[in-house]
Amino acid sequence: MSIATAFEIMLAAVLLGLGIWTIVVRETFSATVGFVAYGLLVALIWVRLDAADVALTEAAIGGGLSGVLLLGAAARLRDAEPMAEAAPGKLLRATAAALSVLTTATLAGTVLLLPDPAPSLAPASVANAWATGLSNPVTNVLMAFRAMDTMLEKVVLVLAIVGVWSLAPDSAWGGRPGPRHRADPYGVLAFLARLLSPVGIVVGIYVFWTGANHPGGAFQGGAILASMWLLATMAGLADAPPVSSRPLRLILVAGSGLFLIVGLAGLLFGAAFLSYAPALAKPLILGIEVAMVLTIATTLGLLLSGAPERSAEPWAP
Amino acid sequence: MTEFLTAAVGFILAMLALGLVSILRGPGDADRVMATQLIGTGGIAALLLLGTVAGVPAAVDVALTLALLATFASIAFVKKGLSRFEADGTASTENE
Repeated sequence: MSIATAFEIMLAAVLLGLGIWTIVVRETFSATVGFVAYGLLVALIWVRLDAADVALTEAAIGGGLSGVLLLGAAARLRDAEPMAEAAPGKLLRATAAALSVLTTATLAGTVLLLPDPAPSLAPASVANAWATGLSNPVTNVLMAFRAMDTMLEKVVLVLAIVGVWSLAPDSAWGGRPGPRHRADPYGVLAFLARLLSPVGIVVGIYVFWTGANHPGGAFQGGAILASMWLLATMAGLADAPPVSSRPLRLILVAGSGLFLIVGLAGLLFGAAFLSYAPALAKPLILGIEVAMVLTIATTLGLLLSGAPERSAEPWAP
Repeated sequence: MTEFLTAAVGFILAMLALGLVSILRGPGDADRVMATQLIGTGGIAALLLLGTVAGVPAAVDVALTLALLATFASIAFVKKGLSRFEADGTASTENE
């Protein structure tokens, strides 16, 4: 057993232990913190497995944005937690345990029954990379070979934001989401937001741009941009836009809209829905990705800001 | 050189495991978040070393993303986890 294998076993053991603790621990808040650390370690494992694209997504979503989303939920639930202390009945516990064991057994059985070697389309997608002019196979699959899935994902993002907004009370409809954050304009938080946001925006655009030929892409870049926007909002340097704003809504549908237009153009002038002419493939894909990164960043930022809860009037001190 | 870097990865992984113990022990929420920050920093170091040892240049990008978002998560903790939401819908964390 080489020393690298020993490290891998150690990493996996640490991860399993953390996962079990995150499930077992009673307080919502501690479980959330455990989940954030879990996301960081999983990113490490994805790099070890040579899946840098997945590692980037995990670092941006698992370690960052969903951690923040859960932290917010835990902070809200904290007031309600004493009410939930009533222990569930024996029957409920037994049913939950039986269902969990069944799910675990099914998953374990499926993993053991997987064919070896696994059926793979990877060689075919690498062999056809010339058709798009991009050399990152993941981006090729996402934007060209399985573009339909990616387009529908963008539609899901729109649906998600509609779902969050529909939680708004009538009085706040059309207003701004989340609380207006205040911070000392000369304090450490405002300083950090001024210092980190520009760097983060550059990194976000870089991760998006490099996605054409190296690990990266619109989703990861968009997630970084969204977190920088939220950072400025939390430091009180910017305010979330009112949800009734028309430019905002146009940005929210830009990604799926442009995707759909290009897809229909492929149907009219080309071979099939979402087919790109080889000469135009790269510019078309990049154009869709630019619209997508804007949509993703805005949608993720608004999803984390929550439902509208105050008037659209600008806040005055 | 590779052996030295691999040994360094091992050392950092051991430190990560120690940080994990700190998450498990707590006792307060702030202690746990500080331990997460430690794990984030250790994770960045491990990624940079692993990327060099295994020849995965993209590991640097992942480390960059982790560095940005781990900071962001800790700020969100301060704002959301510790702030008291006042009746007028504003939140403040710093003494005014």
